[in-house]
Amino acid sequence: MSKTILSGRAVTKKFRGLTAIEDVEFDIPEGAIYGLIGPNGAGKSTLFNLITGYYALTSGEIRFFDRDLASLPTYRRNQAGIARAFQISKPFPALTVRENVRVGAMFGKPERTNFDIVTDEALSIAGITELADRTAEGLTVGALRKLEIARAVATRPKLLLADEPCAGLNPTETEEMVQCLRNVRERGTTVWLVEHDMRAVTSICDRIIVIDAGRKIAEGTPREVVNNPKVIAAYLGTPVEDGN
Amino acid sequence: MFLFLQTTLNGLVLGGLYSLAAVGFSLIFGVLGIVNLTHGIFVVAGAFGALVLYNEFGLDPLLAMLPVGIVLFAVGYIYQRTVIHWAISRASLVASLVVTFGVAMIGRNLMQLTFGPDAHSITPSYSFSSLTFGPLQIDVVRVVALGASLVLLLLLALVLAKTHFGRAVRATAQQPLAAELSGLNVQRLHGLTFGISAALAGASGAIIGIVQPFTPASEVAWTLNAFIVVVLGGIGSPAGALVGGILLGLINAYTAQYIGPSLTQAAMFLVLVLMLLLRPNGLLGNAFGESR
Amino acid sequence: MNRSLAIIAALAALIVIAVLPLWMPPFYTRVVQLFFFSAALATAWNILGGYTGYWSFGHTVFIGIGAFASAHLVTHLGPFGSGPWSMVVPVLLSGLICGLFAAILAYPILRLRGIYFAIAMLGVGQVVGELVTNISWFQGGVGVFLAAPVPQGMPPEQFFYYLFAGLLILCLAVSFWVRHSRFGYALLAIREDEDTAMMLGVATERYKIAAFVMSAVLVGLLGAVYGYTVGYFTTSSVFRLDFSLNMIVFCLIGGIGTLFGPVIGTAVMLLLTQVLLSGFLDIHLLITGVIVVAIILIMPGGILGALRPKRRASASKAEPAAKVQS
Repeated sequence: MSKTILSGRAVTKKFRGLTAIEDVEFDIPEGAIYGLIGPNGAGKSTLFNLITGYYALTSGEIRFFDRDLASLPTYRRNQAGIARAFQISKPFPALTVRENVRVGAMFGKPERTNFDIVTDEALSIAGITELADRTAEGLTVGALRKLEIARAVATRPKLLLADEPCAGLNPTETEEMVQCLRNVRERGTTVWLVEHDMRAVTSICDRIIVIDAGRKIAEGTPREVVNNPKVIAAYLGTPVEDGN
Repeated sequence: MFLFLQTTLNGLVLGGLYSLAAVGFSLIFGVLGIVNLTHGIFVVAGAFGALVLYNEFGLDPLLAMLPVGIVLFAVGYIYQRTVIHWAISRASLVASLVVTFGVAMIGRNLMQLTFGPDAHSITPSYSFSSLTFGPLQIDVVRVVALGASLVLLLLLALVLAKTHFGRAVRATAQQPLAAELSGLNVQRLHGLTFGISAALAGASGAIIGIVQPFTPASEVAWTLNAFIVVVLGGIGSPAGALVGGILLGLINAYTAQYIGPSLTQAAMFLVLVLMLLLRPNGLLGNAFGESR
Repeated sequence: MNRSLAIIAALAALIVIAVLPLWMPPFYTRVVQLFFFSAALATAWNILGGYTGYWSFGHTVFIGIGAFASAHLVTHLGPFGSGPWSMVVPVLLSGLICGLFAAILAYPILRLRGIYFAIAMLGVGQVVGELVTNISWFQGGVGVFLAAPVPQGMPPEQFFYYLFAGLLILCLAVSFWVRHSRFGYALLAIREDEDTAMMLGVATERYKIAAFVMSAVLVGLLGAVYGYTVGYFTTSSVFRLDFSLNMIVFCLIGGIGTLFGPVIGTAVMLLLTQVLLSGFLDIHLLITGVIVVAIILIMPGGILGALRPKRRASASKAEPAAKVQS
């Protein structure tokens, strides 16, 4: 692995009095697939929102290829190469799958290329080439999720933040989504995903970062993380926290 | 100064009428999220209904409000349960905009066929008498019109605030699904809302008939007035309709007096557009929150 | 359809359009002329309403401005040459004036969405109409003259037939280009979900304004030429609510947001109202209303939508977003 694509130093976010994220540090190497896990309410979504610029940092800094992100608004971060695929996909319902992806290809980056090639590539990475001429409304949840990934990929990102891509999918669809994320990495895009499905996370991630109550409590390979006592405590509840 | 007071008085009276004519539109907008472009038809149909009752049976327009209101209630209820419901379930909420527009065309044409395109007015015995307060002068019909409008608005406000029906309507407006899950018959409530809205519009039409002339084509103006009132005052509440209606009445009266009677429409729309840009939820906001 | 077939069909259509008035009775020439005019209006409306999802209920304002601008240009600054070519400068300038007006109007009014935009445009149409009537310089109340420089030896209805045919082709060409360009994709994305479009990097504000201005310029050109066809007009003959409504109804019936939907819708409705039911003038409104209601209830995607089952459910989405602007 080469350079660090995204790094966070002492990343902290407070909402009025409440500390949602505190002193979180991370270094994501280029070309990796990283996981971000933690119990509900641990601050995973907040962290992603800080990276895409939806929230502003309270203190600390986030750098993307050595560039401080603080001054960049959301759409500029997108153009700089950070894409996000949402858990609740928001397709353009009356457009076909291909047209949906094409919008991403056309507007994700300021420069013009051959949009047909980019679109077709994104469709095949997400494994939805055969759905290309269907309208987005009426697709299954699994297909919509893949469309969301394809549209994000079509913007030619360097880093893809994926929000629970496997939530609500059946085992077959989950398997396909895992393959889809592998394809994204093959293409040279770094992937960082929030995911609850532990089987999916452990099967594709190189490394996993675990946060609990806004703090980072562990980082390591999937095997290291699942055997880490702090992680087990966070998920199962420590005897102190969980009195009964 | 007297001129100003007199103009203000005229504006207030007109405002009361606008409020009553618009409140049903506002209720439907708030509860069902539908912009009902048939609303003006209800108003004008109410006026024609009162005209027929007056000409045939000599029934006073103020008393005619009751039978006219009952008939239009039935019309509104059936209209919602059939056409409106079909439009929403088969197409989308916005398709209902186009459907109500189409029905308005049908309604206007039917009234034109029945009553002709000319202007009508209702002239009960007290049409030409007026009251004087010092130097100020006001027609009896206008005082009566204002009074009747305020009474009906107050009644509606009480019904919405105090009765089981009112609570059910508010619940349905805020969370239709949750309301349905809690055992409310949402479809029926929507039908009743349409019925009440049409009845109030018809009642206002009966009053409008004695205050100003009307034609089948006036329906467009009354629908637009209702829209402006809602934008000015806020969606879904009698109070919002009152505030919006009175503002509209004042704007109308001042413009006619001080700028020129032919520019009233321009002034109304200018205020509408400015209001949409500055405070799109109206002065009193949406009575049912930002649920839509 | 493959490309060469499409080109052959287009050429055939052109030839038919070119020779038709040579043997058609004048009445039908006028009907077809009205068809070209109405279809071109609907096509221009469709760029904003169909592709972008911003339904204007007051597009007649651009017909009115176009017509009055031409009349005043010719009266105060004309003539601009002689013969039919003298129309070129005033008509183009009128289109430009409409474009400028739209550009100024666009910034505030396109902040409104859905029904609020629709009604605000209705208001703009009413206000501008009243101003043209009441500000004496515009002479909207008494009316203005705009003499048509019909070439010698040519019946006027033939002359305007060809003019409107040309304008319809122009509108269709612009609409075709928009639909297949990057610009058009931006408009479709805005129609479908403006916020998501913005997130994907679409500069929504800029594209909306461009679509609005483009639509306004085309309608302005049509309005200017329409002014020449009537020769003398007042405010109420060009700022007409029924023009605004027809544009919407024709698009709805043919298939909103499609290239040929507006043309097909216009053809069907004019055939019904002008030819088949021309004897029942007093129930035109009723018939139109019934058709509008039936179309929405039976085939929400319009005629073209119903012909393409795959996209049947899609076309009905070409409506302004249902959300209340907040």
